[in-house]
Amino acid sequence: MVDIIVCLKQTVDVNQVRPHPETLEPQLGQAPRKISDFDLNALEEALRIKEKHGGRVVAVCVGHDIQQLLIREALAMGADEAYVVSDPMLERADGLVTAEVLAALIRKVGRWDLILCGEASLDESAYQTGPRLAEIFNIPHITYAVRVELEDSGVKVWKAMEGGIHVVKASLPAVLAVGLEINTPRLPSLLMIRAASKKPIHEVKLSELGLSEEQLTPAVETLQVKALKVERRRITLEGEPEELAQKLAEILVQEGLVKK
Amino acid sequence: MSTILVYSENPHAAAEMLVAARQLAPSLNASTAALHLGSMSEQDLKAYAAGGAELVYHVDGVDAEKHGPACVAEALANVARNVDAVMVLVAATRLGREVAPRTAQRLKTGYAAECVQLEASSDGLVAYRGVLGGTYQAKLLFKRKPYVVSLQTGRYQPEGSGSQPRVEKVSIEITAPQLELVEIARAESAGVDLEKAELIVSVGRGFKKREDLSMAEELAKVIGAELGCSRPIAGDLKWLPEDRHIGLSGKRVKPKLYLALGISGQVQHLVGIRDSKVVIAVNTDSNAPIMSEADYAVVGDIYKVVPLLTENLKKLLGR
Repeated sequence: MVDIIVCLKQTVDVNQVRPHPETLEPQLGQAPRKISDFDLNALEEALRIKEKHGGRVVAVCVGHDIQQLLIREALAMGADEAYVVSDPMLERADGLVTAEVLAALIRKVGRWDLILCGEASLDESAYQTGPRLAEIFNIPHITYAVRVELEDSGVKVWKAMEGGIHVVKASLPAVLAVGLEINTPRLPSLLMIRAASKKPIHEVKLSELGLSEEQLTPAVETLQVKALKVERRRITLEGEPEELAQKLAEILVQEGLVKK
Repeated sequence: MSTILVYSENPHAAAEMLVAARQLAPSLNASTAALHLGSMSEQDLKAYAAGGAELVYHVDGVDAEKHGPACVAEALANVARNVDAVMVLVAATRLGREVAPRTAQRLKTGYAAECVQLEASSDGLVAYRGVLGGTYQAKLLFKRKPYVVSLQTGRYQPEGSGSQPRVEKVSIEITAPQLELVEIARAESAGVDLEKAELIVSVGRGFKKREDLSMAEELAKVIGAELGCSRPIAGDLKWLPEDRHIGLSGKRVKPKLYLALGISGQVQHLVGIRDSKVVIAVNTDSNAPIMSEADYAVVGDIYKVVPLLTENLKKLLGR
């Protein structure tokens, strides 16, 4: 039996964020939100471990505007219950504050053996939540996990580094951070979606977590976010494959992109 | 005077960080130093000298590969505290991206990941980094010291002062949780340097089978291009080695021609090709994101267009 915590971040879908035409700032309010991609891989891996070894999977989620529907999505995939902190104050949270709030929330969950999270979030790509949580709990962490096997004495993980795969072992409890290489997240069936409506979502108030002023004060402030402009010609070529291939070959030669 | 403390498990990357640190040092009223863990060779010392290091703290008992990131973070945080570091600067290698946030948490401070530029301001350190899939840049201000930062490599050129840095031995008792390294399986590597390629033919999920990549390979051969790919091709499907993966978590390329075949163009991929001079995309879906980020968006089936294109080019180029 293994009890697993999965950290789920709700972010904007970065593929649907459009910059304001003049200020170039991202129009975040107009883009739909989703569960950060790699966090779904983390949830999938937790469910697979549970299916093999038994135990429970608890989703934890903190943010400034948590959408119930996305929590239900995680429950429909197979998480047993969810703990949520949604507080407008967290809009300014940096990695430090987020980790402190997540850790405090995880303490509320009670017993656990493993924390799984996405190696980086869709919007920030900072690779920091896993290592920060592990530091708070003073336990090992392994990022870039591409394969996980539970053993009697702990966990064996295949970790993708620049030069190749490092096979490492860690004792439990531990934090594992995964990317899309590890699995393909399941799509919940209608039956699972229905079953999810009965699963508990525990809403916890930020003030109930007993965090100090210092723990809730961001160390990094975002002053500005702006789109990086790339100007492309955006010429569309349509037609029969023969025409397209010929035109494209001519363009490549005429523009000096390929050499004789 | 306080210190900017630099660390990378790769001394050449550390040398780059030292160059960045020395540029910031006067405005932060700080000196610079590097931290070296494990045995230190003449070569290592030369690399630090090339970065202009005056001082190297050497902790012998900790090995990054053997003990894991938590122990590296412990050593880095301990030395940072001892020398009253104003800033901890880590090269954004895979290990660096694990070590830096853990160090920041140990020091109860902020962290800016994979920065592209740093500036000292009167309010504190300002860091610039890519966000929202890398298509936006965020300007961040540190409100608390020390500033923990990882910086992309390949942006600073160590020039080599020649003078030997002073080495100061530090002994640290490691109490952080260790990993046990079982083995290292060397990656199958294409051995290519895509960052330097002039022409790149790149493949994505539009290819249905691994064997079908031969179409792209043939085209690449005819025009003398390197083969690249999106993350799923190297990551999930493992059809190509990881060093051909282009995007946010892979290579960032700047070829004269980037020819994207069957790549939809998720923002994480687009960030990797931003510096390409000409982008041509072939895709059946005219609404695929890559089509609006291309100089030429060719609406067509790669299975039909690519072999014909190869034939046409063979004729035009006389091959």
